[in-house]
Amino acid sequence: MIEIAELTKHYAETVAVDDLTFTVRPGQVTGFLGPNGAGKSTTMRMIVGLDRPDRGIATVNGIPYAEHPAPLRQVGALLEARSIHRGRSARNHLLALAQTHRFPARRVGEVLAMVGLEGVGHRRAGGFSLGMGQRLGVAAALLGDPAVVMMDEPTNGLDPDGVLWIRNLLKALAGEGRTVLVSSHLMSEMAVTAEHLIVIGRGRLVADTTVAELIARVEVDRVSVRSPEATDLRELLIGLGAKVTGLEAGLLEVSGLTAERISDVAFRNGLPVYELTPQRATLEQAYMELTKDSVEYRENERTAA
Amino acid sequence: MTTLIEDRAGQGIDGDRDGAAYRVTLRRVTRSEWTKLLSLRSTWIVLVAMAVVTVGVAAGTGWAYEQRISDGEVEAGAARAVGSAFLALELAGLVIGVLGVLQMSGEYSSGLIRASLAAVPRRLPLLWAKALVLIGLTFPFMVLICLASFETVLLFAPSDHSGLADDGVVRAIVGAAAYPVGIGLLGLAIGTLIRHTAGAVTTLVVTMLVVPAIILALPEAVRDAIGPYLPITAGQAMFGMGLGEEPVGMLSPGAGAVVMLGWIAVLLGAAAVLLRRRDA
Repeated sequence: MIEIAELTKHYAETVAVDDLTFTVRPGQVTGFLGPNGAGKSTTMRMIVGLDRPDRGIATVNGIPYAEHPAPLRQVGALLEARSIHRGRSARNHLLALAQTHRFPARRVGEVLAMVGLEGVGHRRAGGFSLGMGQRLGVAAALLGDPAVVMMDEPTNGLDPDGVLWIRNLLKALAGEGRTVLVSSHLMSEMAVTAEHLIVIGRGRLVADTTVAELIARVEVDRVSVRSPEATDLRELLIGLGAKVTGLEAGLLEVSGLTAERISDVAFRNGLPVYELTPQRATLEQAYMELTKDSVEYRENERTAA
Repeated sequence: MTTLIEDRAGQGIDGDRDGAAYRVTLRRVTRSEWTKLLSLRSTWIVLVAMAVVTVGVAAGTGWAYEQRISDGEVEAGAARAVGSAFLALELAGLVIGVLGVLQMSGEYSSGLIRASLAAVPRRLPLLWAKALVLIGLTFPFMVLICLASFETVLLFAPSDHSGLADDGVVRAIVGAAAYPVGIGLLGLAIGTLIRHTAGAVTTLVVTMLVVPAIILALPEAVRDAIGPYLPITAGQAMFGMGLGEEPVGMLSPGAGAVVMLGWIAVLLGAAAVLLRRRDA
């Protein structure tokens, strides 16, 4: 369990995290979503005590992270991609971390095997590919067999296999009753990984909800209608106050009327309807809708993409 | 809770999450830092290269010392032998000083500091452990190098019949070994304060080489008042043999050691305060 209360952090002129309050519960994957620069990384760094909040508090299983006698038993964190000295072997990197808690040395071999690096444990981490470096970071996060697993954009730089691997790993960890918090700026990734979502923008909480609720919240009032008598139907619907746009010949997009009303109108006037589809918001749309006021870098992202 | 590891590849970790079994202690962090220092190839390369150069220079100075004895320029004696043996000790000081800087600045440049501080979120044990392993590795190493340098000088200067039994020789060897280690601890403090390798190394070099040069250029009264208390001159006093030929006055070996320890305490103290306070 991670509890965050009124967490606030400024860097010089900018507010990175602004009065953030939420709780991350065990047994499920919680997605931590927001545009780049929304404050996700800063929040995660404050949870493990790397950054000091200006105000507010973050606790892990009831007390601040740093007050746990064996912190790595509580939280395993994968933060920015590389937290590894290039000149040290993967095995020695993990061994040094394990020794701070006197975890048994066999544990190093176990986590290397779990992330599929057992064959390259003796190699210097400087020669690792981005994906291997990411796997080594995951191994370090799992070293203490922790109650809470926290990963910041873990799929960055991974190939499709690696993305799938991370997704399954996170679900398995949550299935074991652990608390799992994973950040991403990609809604599509979270849609297939997370059950619960914390959405932030410009450091503020935008939504704390489930995936299903999030879609429901952003109701899109549009119905697409396919009819061979589209022109006549269009006149009728406009007469009832609807806004109608023609997408292609025989296909209308109607807003301001429910699908039921449109169906009644067509039936009473003897106009055949081949298709009547209320448009549902996609998760991507829901997310864009929620964060549109809080996007700082969307233009840059677009350019980069 | 069943553990992931039981499910997949091993036995996981037993025991209470807040139990004492896996408590972070200074002893454990020190063990970890020992692994970190020894697992870098650069540590060994640098130390071995430094040993070769230091003892090699001692061979040269020993030979020159023998010439000066036979030319009648100097009289043979333990004080002269010690002086010849440790002429290249500045190099050892610089090398171990940089090693100390890198112990911390290397963590910042690689990003490892985030993993280290997440494992040791109380932070200070990390700094103390780094200091302990630096001492633990380099002091015995330096004692061996200093002994070897002294014996090398005697080997190349057969006219000098002094040895370890002479007054002050063992003390000077221990002091000479401690001096670079002290610079190393200053380097560790500077690396923690400045965090960037280039800036920290520059600061170390300025402290060791440039400041003393500036002091030498000052009026005599100021020079004599400040000169002996610099880290470098106080450190050198620890292996002085009282020849009185240094450009600035020298403290006694004991007083030199006290001043050196004072510098280390002040700088490591400041490093500890900032390490605690700053965002990583």
